[in-house]
Amino acid sequence: MNSPVIELRGLSHRYDTDPVLRDIHLTIEAGEIFGFLGHNGAGKTTAINILTTLIEPTSGTAKVCGYDVVTERRDVTRCIGYLPAEVRMYGHMTAAENLEFFAKLSGVTDPRKAVAETLDYLECAELANKRVGSFSTGMRQRIGIAQAIVHRPKVLFLDEPTSGLDPLGVRQLRDTILRLNGDLGMTVFMNTHLLSEVSKVCTTIGVLNHGELIYKDSIEETTRRFPDEASLEDIYVRMETAS
Amino acid sequence: MSDSTHRIITLARHEYRSAVRSRILIVLLGILVTVTAVSVYIASVDYASKLADYQAYVNAATTSGLDRIAPSPLAALSLLRGAMEYIEIIGAVIAIALGYLTVSRERTNRTLPLIRSRPVTSGELATGSLLGALGVIATLVAVTAVVGIVCVGTIGHDWINATQALKLFLGYLAAIVYMGAFYCLGAIATAKSRVAANGLMIALGIWLIVVLVLPQIGDTMDADNQIPGGLFKALGLGHDGEAQILTHFTTYERIRTWTEEASLAKHFERFSFAMTDVKERYRPFNLPWLLGQTRNDIGWLIAYSAALYAGLRRTFRNQPTIPQGGTQ
Repeated sequence: MNSPVIELRGLSHRYDTDPVLRDIHLTIEAGEIFGFLGHNGAGKTTAINILTTLIEPTSGTAKVCGYDVVTERRDVTRCIGYLPAEVRMYGHMTAAENLEFFAKLSGVTDPRKAVAETLDYLECAELANKRVGSFSTGMRQRIGIAQAIVHRPKVLFLDEPTSGLDPLGVRQLRDTILRLNGDLGMTVFMNTHLLSEVSKVCTTIGVLNHGELIYKDSIEETTRRFPDEASLEDIYVRMETAS
Repeated sequence: MSDSTHRIITLARHEYRSAVRSRILIVLLGILVTVTAVSVYIASVDYASKLADYQAYVNAATTSGLDRIAPSPLAALSLLRGAMEYIEIIGAVIAIALGYLTVSRERTNRTLPLIRSRPVTSGELATGSLLGALGVIATLVAVTAVVGIVCVGTIGHDWINATQALKLFLGYLAAIVYMGAFYCLGAIATAKSRVAANGLMIALGIWLIVVLVLPQIGDTMDADNQIPGGLFKALGLGHDGEAQILTHFTTYERIRTWTEEASLAKHFERFSFAMTDVKERYRPFNLPWLLGQTRNDIGWLIAYSAALYAGLRRTFRNQPTIPQGGTQ
């Protein structure tokens, strides 16, 4: 059995008096591709923000790679990569300059080499010397993924990675996630709305409803558990309406 | 080199490169260099004429066999008074703009989460940003210094010597510290405001008070400034007489002193004027004596700058990486 890479114990968060996450218990093991599903405002982005150390939880604990996100922030950030929902980066700098900057901050010993290898790996070396400000959404997303993996993290957090992408971009992203998981052994934690992609990419799903985790299981077990439903979308709708 | 130092240098280089690419900043730098050049040029033309007169006097005195020749009343460094005043006023605005750009750039590009999801502490972010900004400020100050020195040498016909160069170096070092303090102010005010432009306005408001209003109040309240040439001089009173009269106005003088002491700009002005021989009373003395006389101003300059740097670190630590109550 794989060791847990992400562990949430009684995790709660509130903005002022408005509860966003309520007593979440969740374990994700190494090598999983975890799809976090939920309606708008369910608390998915807040969960990622806590796991990437950007905000502190109101109560409960969260551990990534065995490190506490509050008390061992620096250790957590050494083993994670993060792609926010909207990737912008520094528009006046080229893709390579952006990536080199983030690689250096992550402590990569040979940033230039790491950037070249990452761009080659993502098959977008032609973007290296172009200014990010002139990029389309799809190009920005690819460079965004490059910045998230340039230091070869153990865990990759993706917040709505398919938003704004055309069907071809969505397919490319799916292939990239599968390769990162297969080739580099990265554990992937992905917030998404796109249920068709979840069934093709994820090994495990979790469903968040108004800040509460109402379901978590493998894709295989999920389809076995709901034999009457034709697709993951049907299963998700049933869960949402039942709760 | 430790990992932390490496990250600070990376952030500093990034800050420097991003700042020098800013058009607003380039325009402000252009204005400062231009007004400095014009000011020193005009002063140097006048100085060249006075220097020629003094030289003619020396030649005449030597020819007539005079034993004692009066020392030159001229001070080449004092031609840089305008340069220092422009740094005090426009330099502070440029530094505030730099601080504003540091914060607003990360907000506009939404890059703060990408930085903070890496092993970068808020202290490293603050220090790296400040060092990068100080690099920009040092470049700017060096350009204005070169322009000033070349003008004094070529137009004023008086190239500065090693001792003067050292004094000038210290004056410009104080200028970098002074502008660094205003950089921190600009960054703090912007980071604390939800709308970046509001932060810039607040910082400029504080600049107005510190650089223009407080020194002006202090100067206006100075009894000696009540008539042209000085009140006490007009009354035929020396330093002792002046001190005796002022003992009857201790509270008034204390308030006036506090008002002036509250201004960072005033401390920079006093120190830089001492280093550039602007005040005639400082001219006969050597550097150690001058440093002793201005130790209070050096102390305040360092204290203000250190406090604002601490404020910058604190602000960056408490600054939300993600806007509160935003996307859930």
